Amino acid sequence: MVADTLTGTDGIAAAGVGGAGTARRGRTRFLLRHLGTPAAIAAVLGVLYLWVHGLRLDSIERRTLNYTYMHDRVIEHLKLTVVATVIVIVIAIPLGVIISRPRARWVSPVVLALSNLGQAIPSLGLLVLLTIKFGIGFKIAMFGLVVYAVLPVLRNTMVGIQQVDPTLVEAARGMGMTRMQVLFSVELRLAVPVILAGLRTALVLTVGVATLATFVNAGGLGDMIVNGIKLSRHPVLITGSVLTCCIAFLVDWLGNLAEDVLRPRGLS
Amino acid sequence: MFDNSDGGVGIELRELTKRYPGQSAPAVDAISLDVAAGELVVFVGPSGCGKTTTMKMINRLIEPTSGEVRIGGEDVLRMRPDDLRRHVGYVIQQIGLFPHLTIAQNIGVVPKLLGWSKTRITDRIDELLGLVGLDAAQFRSRYPRQLSGGQQQRVGVARALAADPPVMLMDEPFGATDPITREHLQNEFLRLQRELRKTIIFVTHDFEEAIRLGDRIVVLREGSHIAQYDRPARILGAPADDYVAGFIGTASTLKRLALITVEDVFPADGGPPPAAGLPEVDTAATLREALDAMVANGTEEVAAVSGDIRHRLTYHDVCQAIQTNGREVEPSGG
Repeated sequence: MVADTLTGTDGIAAAGVGGAGTARRGRTRFLLRHLGTPAAIAAVLGVLYLWVHGLRLDSIERRTLNYTYMHDRVIEHLKLTVVATVIVIVIAIPLGVIISRPRARWVSPVVLALSNLGQAIPSLGLLVLLTIKFGIGFKIAMFGLVVYAVLPVLRNTMVGIQQVDPTLVEAARGMGMTRMQVLFSVELRLAVPVILAGLRTALVLTVGVATLATFVNAGGLGDMIVNGIKLSRHPVLITGSVLTCCIAFLVDWLGNLAEDVLRPRGLS
Repeated sequence: MFDNSDGGVGIELRELTKRYPGQSAPAVDAISLDVAAGELVVFVGPSGCGKTTTMKMINRLIEPTSGEVRIGGEDVLRMRPDDLRRHVGYVIQQIGLFPHLTIAQNIGVVPKLLGWSKTRITDRIDELLGLVGLDAAQFRSRYPRQLSGGQQQRVGVARALAADPPVMLMDEPFGATDPITREHLQNEFLRLQRELRKTIIFVTHDFEEAIRLGDRIVVLREGSHIAQYDRPARILGAPADDYVAGFIGTASTLKRLALITVEDVFPADGGPPPAAGLPEVDTAATLREALDAMVANGTEEVAAVSGDIRHRLTYHDVCQAIQTNGREVEPSGG
């Protein structure tokens, strides 16, 4: 199905727009635009390290502010985020495609309403309710994260496909593309920027919401933050928060990079 | 699919009807029409008269409620719609170039769907770009947004011609361009059509365009009923009824002058040579242009120039031409 789509670099004549000069200038601009965030993150982490290093830590602080503990929490946090995102992609994009079909257009206002409602529900409240009903653990945290992140991706997939100029679809059908070919080589291709924007939002959101996983005993950097608050250990609290923020920025940066790389060329 | 060794193939519509559920009157009411192979037939009529619906039933973007469509004698309704559409060129007003594909990839869409080899597609793309007057080396790898509206519409025509379909359907293809570009595109398109002789259904609501381009014109009224189906000169000269006359509007004589070229009316022996200092027109120019030159220069005659040969064309010649034309004389190239 995807194999007989019409796009891709094996296309009929793949060549750059403009000469080599503009290509080089484009690359420089690309690098400048995408190097800022990682540099800033590295600087923040460096300052954090120096600051914590200069403190006299008590035994409670030492129990959390060490490499092994932090490494495990970061990995847990990333795992929560990545697994939730993968599940979200698998659920939301196909579902978004299905409800963007003309026959299912009536569903779209419902999805938009649910999506806006979903964003308004406090995530902590949702997690607590889930825990009361289903208990605690990784799976429950995952469930909450997915419910939370699925809607922006679903909404953007739907909107991304619906905003494709209907005359392009008509032209494609008029040239004899099958419905599947129109979907894969025209509609989805042109929806890529909007879908990716939704995914980026969902990812950043997930990094934040994943700090709440600590309340259902699913680990993550939320452990450090909550410990820091409960035990009044500011270095622990601050380290946990800064690490979370850095991950969020990193994920956002990756999303931005993906948008730039995957956006179909030829779109302004 | 269709045998088109000599240009286009004929199209036949028989009692073709489209009825939408919940509407009392059919959008297209039993239209029957024969289009000869290689002719450019213009559907002209007011908005909502069913001309576009009729056209879209030919490539089955709209499925007919009843009736028959035959292209080159073959029953279109028994074909797979996607296969049919790959063999019928389709140009729309909004052009519909895919913004994420290069010009070459846009033109290559149908050949690729038909499974042509890469080298054959590449050769065809270059040939077509040349045909529509775009430099292949320069435009091949550009994206649609880097082209002007007129250039995009040329690519649209090239794309529709890509797999050399015998039949083309064109839905107000020049409607969205400015008047100067439109006239330019129309002229190029006519030149192209003289070479290719495709069978073309061309939809427009612009009567001037219909006269300019059509070998024949179908004037349609509500429900896609045919008010008149004839050559442009005869529709101008002898409108079937008030409706058609209303469509032609005023100054129909001037419009008819635009259909006749200086060559068409010239006496076989060429007549006397013109006096010196007269305004000059090309023999390929229309009588309207010749008259324009006379009025502008305050003379009653002009010099018709073709290479080294110069003839005299008088106001009287023009008047006589318009009286004989319309009922008997066919326009050139028709």
